[in-house]
Amino acid sequence: MAIHKSLFASLLICLLFQISHGATKERLFSDLEKGALEVTAKPSRESVLDAGIDKLSITWKLSSTATKEAEFTTIKVKLCYAPVSQVDRPWRKTENELFKDKSCPHKIITRAYDKSPQSFEYTLERDIPTGTYFVRAYAVDAKDHEVAFGQSTDEAKSTNLFSVQAISGRHKSLDIASVCFSVFSVLALLVFFVNEKRKAKIEQSK
Amino acid sequence: MRHFQRYIYATKNYSENLKELRAKRLEKNKTHVLSQEERVFFSRLLGTIMAHHNEDEGSVGTSMHGVTAREQVFSFSVQGEDDGPSSHTVRFDDPTAKFALPVDSEHRATAFKPFSFAKPHMRAFHLGWISFFTCFISTFAAAPLVPIIRDNLDLTKSDIGNAGVASVSGAIFSRLAMGAVCDLLGARYGTAFLLMLSAPTVFSMSFVSDAGGYLSVRFMIGFCLATFVSCQYWTSVMFNGKIIGLVNGCAGGWGDMGGGVTQLLMPMVFHVIKLAGATPFTAWRIAFFIPGFLQVIMGILVLTLGQDLPDGNLSTLQKRGEVSKDKFTKVFWYAVLNYRTYVLFLLYGFSMGIEMTINNVISEYFFDRFQLELHTAGMIAASFGMANFFARPLGGYASDISARFFGMRGRLWTLWILQTSGGIFCVWLGRATSLPIAILSMMLFSVGVQAACGAIFGIVPFVSRRSLGLISGLTGAGGNFGSGLTQLIFFSSSKFHTADGLSLMGIMGMIFTLLVAFIHFPQWGSMFFGPTSDEKKSKEEHYYAAEWTEEEKRQGLHEGSLKFAENSRSERGRKAASDGSSPSTPPENGNPAHV
Repeated sequence: MAIHKSLFASLLICLLFQISHGATKERLFSDLEKGALEVTAKPSRESVLDAGIDKLSITWKLSSTATKEAEFTTIKVKLCYAPVSQVDRPWRKTENELFKDKSCPHKIITRAYDKSPQSFEYTLERDIPTGTYFVRAYAVDAKDHEVAFGQSTDEAKSTNLFSVQAISGRHKSLDIASVCFSVFSVLALLVFFVNEKRKAKIEQSK
Repeated sequence: MRHFQRYIYATKNYSENLKELRAKRLEKNKTHVLSQEERVFFSRLLGTIMAHHNEDEGSVGTSMHGVTAREQVFSFSVQGEDDGPSSHTVRFDDPTAKFALPVDSEHRATAFKPFSFAKPHMRAFHLGWISFFTCFISTFAAAPLVPIIRDNLDLTKSDIGNAGVASVSGAIFSRLAMGAVCDLLGARYGTAFLLMLSAPTVFSMSFVSDAGGYLSVRFMIGFCLATFVSCQYWTSVMFNGKIIGLVNGCAGGWGDMGGGVTQLLMPMVFHVIKLAGATPFTAWRIAFFIPGFLQVIMGILVLTLGQDLPDGNLSTLQKRGEVSKDKFTKVFWYAVLNYRTYVLFLLYGFSMGIEMTINNVISEYFFDRFQLELHTAGMIAASFGMANFFARPLGGYASDISARFFGMRGRLWTLWILQTSGGIFCVWLGRATSLPIAILSMMLFSVGVQAACGAIFGIVPFVSRRSLGLISGLTGAGGNFGSGLTQLIFFSSSKFHTADGLSLMGIMGMIFTLLVAFIHFPQWGSMFFGPTSDEKKSKEEHYYAAEWTEEEKRQGLHEGSLKFAENSRSERGRKAASDGSSPSTPPENGNPAHV
């Protein structure tokens, strides 16, 4: 009961935080200035990229059409899912409310805003899932609110996409350990069973 | 001196024996004339007393042969030398003296002491529920790690939903088979087989690389949920009917807690392994070794520390000829013929079934609907499962208390009330739009539905004696069937929003709970009707002996059922006390000279 009570109490505290936290978040993606930054992302090779090994050459610079440049303090560059990787996967859904949007979960780099063109050599992290991606850079103001963005693909998210193949996560040592423990489990059971049957037979013959 | 002690023992206990004989006489013959058994008893007692006065210690004629009645005096006979005493004899070297807990005539414990580990009753209880707890951890171990697994294996929502259905479907078949296995091999080997043969499936998560592999492994791991049946079976043979509701409720509830504990345990283990340097896609695989180890360890403990029956292990007792091996076809036949089996199958599907469905979907529900962090959603999911710690025993206890006053009718009404209120709160949970209301309704829902599970298993032991194992298994399988069905209908497609799915599931549950009204026992009645007025059929013995053919009765195979029938008279409620079954005064003309 005590565990239950303390869990309940901690839950209440957490949701109090959530309520106060969530009350202010109504900034929309559609309010952001489109195409304020020109972003390119060039993969290190043409075929499907391997997570943990292959690299992306990312560059971004201020676009000539940008109007809110005065507010830019930081640039956040993120890896985003293309529509084909969002099908039947509601946890990657694109939402207009910025705090709900789950389409750009992987952070690449965060840098202070600089007028000159920037570039970054990004090695794909080992926890990037298999899928099709593009790169988006958000321009963030001093209050940590997004004001503008630019992306390496077009508005329909259909051009300049690249595919990534995730690591399998499997290891030979893991496989061997798994087989060993499995065999031990089955053998131990058989040994006990046979032993007891033998003892029961002896008992009976007495 | 030894002889004198025997004399004292005999005379001290004669009144107990006599009370039973008198009760039997009054019930059967309804006469004041001493029955044959009573006369024989008195003459032997007299003979022994006289022999004691007349003879020297140890000489011929002073044996306690007559008074201890090793030979068959009563109609309820028992075979074999080393068997447990029948309800009407008290032996000098009474084996009940060696148990740590008080026991009834079948050597089943009549008291429940959760902090004790005494052999064999409490030890069996603890081994049983911990094994079941471990299997719950393994079966639902994937649920809190799904956000990592779905990225590693590139799963879609339907892949995840199907794997969830698969994880509970395997146990439908294994729970059905488990009842028969326990009847034939004993609860100990049933549990150990499940634990140690499904441990490899848990370890094989390290090989999974796509959706198909994930689904197959979750399906195979799910088979071990049949430990529920072996656990309930084990406690049902170890504990008396008066407390079986509470004991089964505790064992089942504490085992079910595993579904909640795993939502906290697996993310924690995963986090620690990540800290040790593994990448996420490897760390979750290593995390699965923990449930695997737990299963192997528990399997070994069950085999070394456990005991099938109060008197010993099944194979030893069978070889000694004390417990007859029953025929599977018979056990199966009598389970299938009993309509109550199917009613309980469906009822459990909408209490336990709903509970397991919630284990699989609730974390995701709170995460999506209320924009919570993953660990917060996990904590809420965990507290649903952990309410089992007190909720299910509460249901079993409520069933036992209501049986004390109202007999079986009380148990049935308790079940209906608990399960229907669970359904109402489930509907409320689906309607809730604010987080505090959702949590409140979820907690009330968890108590209602989990207590209903406990209440159902307060009734199951009375449905059949011969096929207890198989019926426990069938009821348990019903739980998994209900879970697979509700997940398939309400939570695997985009036809319903999850919130609507929850409400509709609650309504469906309430409709199916109306089936409780159809459970009727000829000797005890049902929710709305009393016991049958037929003199013969209203006896517990008639109901339980009906599971044996005449031929089998002639061989005396139904002895166990008759013993059980007598112990189950408590299900008449308050009326049992006024039926003259426990007289407190010695017989009116109990004059030993009147022989």
